Amino acid sequence: MTLRYDQVSYSYPGTSTGVFDIALEIGRGELLAIIGASGSGKSTILKLLAGFLKPDTGRILIDGKDVGASLPEARRLGVVFQNYALFPHMRLWENIAYPLKVRGIAKQERRARAIEMLGRVGMGKRAEDYPAELSGGQQQRVALARALVFEPQGLLLDEPLSALDAGLRLEMRDEILRVQRQAGIATLLVTHDQEEALSIADKVVMMRDGRIVQIGTPRELYETPADASVAAFVGQSNLWPGSISGDGMVTTPVGALACDTQGKSIGAKVTVFVRPERVEPITGPVDASNPCCFAGSMSADRYLGPVRRIDMAVAGGAIRLETHLRGPITGVTIPHDAIRLLPPTS
Amino acid sequence: MSARVPTSMLAAFAVPGSVVLGLFFLIPVCAVLVGAFADSGSAFGRLAGDPVFWNGLRGTMVLGTVAPLFSLVVGFCVALALARFAPGLRTAALIAISLPLTFSGLIVAYGFILLLGRAGFVTLLLAKLGFDPAVIGGFIFSPVGLGLAYSYYLVPRVVLIVLPAISNFDRNQMLASRSLGAGSFRTLTEVMLPQILPSLIAAYCLTAAVAVGAYGTALALAGTQVNILPLVLYSKISETGTDLPAASAASIVLVAICAVVVSIGEAMRPQRKS
Repeated sequence: MTLRYDQVSYSYPGTSTGVFDIALEIGRGELLAIIGASGSGKSTILKLLAGFLKPDTGRILIDGKDVGASLPEARRLGVVFQNYALFPHMRLWENIAYPLKVRGIAKQERRARAIEMLGRVGMGKRAEDYPAELSGGQQQRVALARALVFEPQGLLLDEPLSALDAGLRLEMRDEILRVQRQAGIATLLVTHDQEEALSIADKVVMMRDGRIVQIGTPRELYETPADASVAAFVGQSNLWPGSISGDGMVTTPVGALACDTQGKSIGAKVTVFVRPERVEPITGPVDASNPCCFAGSMSADRYLGPVRRIDMAVAGGAIRLETHLRGPITGVTIPHDAIRLLPPTS
Repeated sequence: MSARVPTSMLAAFAVPGSVVLGLFFLIPVCAVLVGAFADSGSAFGRLAGDPVFWNGLRGTMVLGTVAPLFSLVVGFCVALALARFAPGLRTAALIAISLPLTFSGLIVAYGFILLLGRAGFVTLLLAKLGFDPAVIGGFIFSPVGLGLAYSYYLVPRVVLIVLPAISNFDRNQMLASRSLGAGSFRTLTEVMLPQILPSLIAAYCLTAAVAVGAYGTALALAGTQVNILPLVLYSKISETGTDLPAASAASIVLVAICAVVVSIGEAMRPQRKS
């Protein structure tokens, strides 16, 4: 049961917005997350797979079969919506049994299967309740159960957690992962929350302006972003325009930095990228003769609990760092292996 | 959200409405009530023994059931289509659809006669194709034809009541139902219809009350050929042998039917946010 996009393009009628040249594959049991800013086309990708939209060009394959022309009801995909879209006039077990009812399964059996499914999401005692009696997180569990009860070929999650409180979101994130792993089902998760994507996805797709910018594991996206936009969207970053000044040296507004220049020619424009947690704080006197050391003063000091996120004002700019140290910081060191060179931003 | 307003001022604001209600509703209704019981209730006896009254009551019941039902089906389909229109286009279409509501019943009847009467435009056109103009031209004067003419101003009422329920309906529920394997017809009947049922019932009751009480169109189209209660009432006060107490008694029956139907509709009406 794989889900595949083969060079799919779609633009909304009468506009130039849409998605273009989408090539993706989600394997059995794999969880693929699509992230991007609003309007980047991530929900459009889900709607194309669900059959709510028809691609202009390209093929969408479920288990190797082209489903581009088939209706949503023929695709056997479980979809969970941001607002859950439970049927308010049906009891919880009736909501979950609805896909079974549509498939002609007898009432006794579908009731039994619905109640068993409710149990799997921890809602076994609420079968006779109506959706309006539930909290958001509980509705989310029921929506997940309804989307999985008919053993679909894929699970599609459209911003499933964005309507929940922060604490509940973490709990439901684990719950979704647990249920998804148990079902062993190919899953597409659309989210604007990069942390959510990094924490539960096997693969993450970054979208911008309807195109895929990067596909990779969460670690690849975080540590080796394809460009400055990915680096800025996924986590915190220091991004400076720079140019190669010599073998192993790059100049930036904050000063000269030693790093692996990957054989780039002198004068080449780059974006210099450093994650704030890789910047090392100095608490004592700063050795100005070391080219990777910068003396400065704290221009912003944000206490986040586990870490402090600090902006150091140095000659020529600001360096952001994260540290668990509690005392005053007098300067920073940027280790050469913390530095990555990305393509220059135009 | 409401600032305090002195009770005396509120009372002052209520005066014009109360005067109008009293002059044009309470006093006439009381007059009819007094009239009906003027000869110590024997008017009701006369009415009960009059086959014309029972005929008229049956005609009213049939017309008051079938015409709103037909209008409900048509109006629901129109509203479904309108809900998918772009907002600007929808407003324009709504204005056009609401237009019949501003016409008097007589004018509607006259229009139908011009179109479908014995010398009507459509009748003559169809006659050229070999249809019998006597049959076609007679249709609009029949009970079914009258029902059709009623629908002309019942359908807009249905659309105006049902459209908000349809356009505010959560589209994700429809999509969810489709993705769960239900076809579009099943989605409509099992997911949407049960949830907008209160609006449909309210629309049905309102249009039924209008159909039961309507008078001008029926008089112009059918004269006294089609027996419905308002026309029985008319004959009792216009023809020779005027029987005002019996007319009053018939009025009370008519008002009672309308009141019951409207009350049912109001009771079923979806909760409005205040």
